[in-house]
Amino acid sequence: MMDDMAMREAALDWLIRQRDPAFGEWEAFGDWLAADPDRAHVYHELAAADADVGEWFAAAPPAAAPVEAPPVANPVTRRRFGGWLGGAIAASLVAVSGYTVLQNRADPYSIETAPGERRSIALADGSQVDLNGGSRITLDHRNQRIATLDRGEALFTVVHDDRRPFIVHAAGAELRDVGTVFNVVSDRAGLSVAVAEGAVVYNPRGESVELGAGRTLHARANDSVVTLGTADPAAMVAWKQGRLIYDGTPIGVVAEDISRNLGLPVSVAPDVAARPFRGVIALDGQRDRFLERLGPLLDVRIERGGKGWVLTAKQK
Amino acid sequence: MRNSGGLETVFLENRDRLLRFLAAHGAGEGAEDLLQELWVRISAAPAGPVAQPLAYLYRAANNLMVDRHRALRTAERRDHEWSEATGATVPGVSDMPGGERTLIARERLRQAEAALAALGTRAETVFRRHRLDGVSQREIAMELGVSLSTVESDLRRAYRAMIELRSRLDAE
Repeated sequence: MMDDMAMREAALDWLIRQRDPAFGEWEAFGDWLAADPDRAHVYHELAAADADVGEWFAAAPPAAAPVEAPPVANPVTRRRFGGWLGGAIAASLVAVSGYTVLQNRADPYSIETAPGERRSIALADGSQVDLNGGSRITLDHRNQRIATLDRGEALFTVVHDDRRPFIVHAAGAELRDVGTVFNVVSDRAGLSVAVAEGAVVYNPRGESVELGAGRTLHARANDSVVTLGTADPAAMVAWKQGRLIYDGTPIGVVAEDISRNLGLPVSVAPDVAARPFRGVIALDGQRDRFLERLGPLLDVRIERGGKGWVLTAKQK
Repeated sequence: MRNSGGLETVFLENRDRLLRFLAAHGAGEGAEDLLQELWVRISAAPAGPVAQPLAYLYRAANNLMVDRHRALRTAERRDHEWSEATGATVPGVSDMPGGERTLIARERLRQAEAALAALGTRAETVFRRHRLDGVSQREIAMELGVSLSTVESDLRRAYRAMIELRSRLDAE
């Protein structure tokens, strides 16, 4: 029998090795666990602690942001238009006024989808924009290297051109591609960017945060607090194939995705919204059956309310 | 989705192994139910091929058991806190306003970064590449031009430091 210290060390070794995406020794790990019932407990404690640590880092502010005094800025009271955010907002104002001043040159047009509808837009340079349901994008006939996501979700597959970067405006921020497949969501919660291939620069004239493949960024709507994270690149583009893949995403965000993808109004009780969800949601099949299946998957109760579907905590 | 057929076959063929794995995780009498729950989680499986279906299923089973442990712990903590009527809680799971949670999360991040920095630049880089960027140990060793055993020992130190910090904060 192992002493406690040795058991902890062995459990930690497993935990570290399992983080390798190619880890394949699950049987050996199972045998290790099975040899002593205490081992599972020790491992679970460590894995839970490690998951918490991962969450601390997932909420990291962008490294490029200059620190204003006081050193630990209170994100609640941060001025919305102040400090390093000013650059981004100024940049987007320039872009907006650009349309009116240069009307003889710019030739904008908008494409809008109904909730549950999807459209694929091919641009002249070979780039493609996949627009999810309930979304609106403004493009320009004269300049196909610029797009404004007015609301909703779009997946950009960009043919890179060093001399002419592809620029997306969304929620007051600017995103510049560095040869890329990336997904953008602009909704009530704020702006979310997920990079599947290549790299994107968030607010190149402001914070200038470069996001490589597998990186995500979220800028909250009410106070523009920026958080960075990681996600599986395959999961980012999966909605196009009718599936949504999550690894610890709050259920509130999952519900927004479902609303947009299926055109079903889905709201979430506050005690459920923050709960993390891991798994895959397939968007096929009939709606009633879909919601039937969704309840157990998310471990929530689903009811039809006055304004669509409502997710609440299960009664214990 | 429709071609979850392949995954389902692997799931059914390895039912007993997965049950044993869940049992080894301390599932006890609930192993059958948990296996069911596992299948519900993955039944809407990816349309694209899963490279290593059995490893995928094992990992999903492992995540299920860790999540379950976390949920139980959070519930216990909440009950405890409610009875003490204190405001302190862990990030991401409380009913506290988002702003306060963000503040606590930032403070924890600051402490975690300080603890990492104390381990030295190499160990910090190794940990970040591994834990946050998801890079394999071998690749990290190549990137930094150090041996695999150096990476292993750096990781062990860093994970240990992070987990210790988390236990300490938890006890506060």
